[in-house]
Amino acid sequence: MSLAQSLLCMAEEEMSRRNCARLLMARVEYGALSGVVPEALQFCFDAMIQGTPHEGARLELACLPLRLRCPFCGRVFGGQDKDALHLPCPGCGELFGHIVEQGKELILSRLEVL
Amino acid sequence: MQIPVIRNVLEANEKTAGQVRARLKRHGILTLNMISSPGTGKTSLLERTLRDLAGEFRMAVIEGDLQTTNDAQRVAATGAQAVQINTDGGCHLDSNMILSSLDSLNLEGMDILFIENVGNLVCPVEFDCGEDAKVALLSVAEGDDKPEKYPLLFNLAKVMVLNKIDLMPHVDFDLARARAFATKLNKDLEIFELSCRSGEGLFGWYDWLRKARMEKKPHDAQRA
Repeated sequence: MSLAQSLLCMAEEEMSRRNCARLLMARVEYGALSGVVPEALQFCFDAMIQGTPHEGARLELACLPLRLRCPFCGRVFGGQDKDALHLPCPGCGELFGHIVEQGKELILSRLEVL
Repeated sequence: MQIPVIRNVLEANEKTAGQVRARLKRHGILTLNMISSPGTGKTSLLERTLRDLAGEFRMAVIEGDLQTTNDAQRVAATGAQAVQINTDGGCHLDSNMILSSLDSLNLEGMDILFIENVGNLVCPVEFDCGEDAKVALLSVAEGDDKPEKYPLLFNLAKVMVLNKIDLMPHVDFDLARARAFATKLNKDLEIFELSCRSGEGLFGWYDWLRKARMEKKPHDAQRA
């Protein structure tokens, strides 16, 4: 719920800066590790725009896959879900300490407004 | 009209967390965000710590709870300062709640501030509360695959406390497996196996607190 709230708050900020009043679409990109449950975010977003000028706006959700870097051989590898965190480095077999280069983000990337 | 934005959805929270951090830094207060599932023993660990280290440090607790003030009462019974935040069903604390509760605390001379988050291994991890470190708690009465299931917490935490080890003879928890999963996610993670009930293993956690406090307030520690 707090995520949906910050999201709408930011969208309204961007809109008022451009003198727009109605949100049509918001695109959010979230990392595979971010803990975002898309169904829950969608549900809260829909609940919050009910009865507002934004009612009916779409929420586009895109998951950013994990991108890990091996601290030993520098190899960059990834996976669609968080299980990739537990796999050995495909370059040198190292199991520990893979650095998360992508996967923790939660970004509002695009708005469509009227 | 299309507007490309690229903004972090949590930016408002992170900005406020920065204010909290700056304020606590001015006072040299070590701040720890305690995160676990419900029933792992966050309050028990704090009760023990507040009692056992009362002679060494001035400590306070910000207590996050869904409904009751039970935990804040338990903490206040040790004589430490305690502030209660009722989230009314909200599943985590955020930096705004922390910022406003700082006003109810006497920060002067305080050494350590514990933030006892709402029992939950997902949402509290995403919301920076302005802490110096996250402390992940786990108990042997839970599954040893928790680090595997909730990787972000164990990846970001500086410390993992494994509580209730006095129950080991009665449970199937595999300590080595839990440790292996956790260090795979975070090779610098400091792990303490302890029991708040029997007191076993608490010294390791206390030594870590002393070290972390000293790093936060070096000149003071030298004076002592």
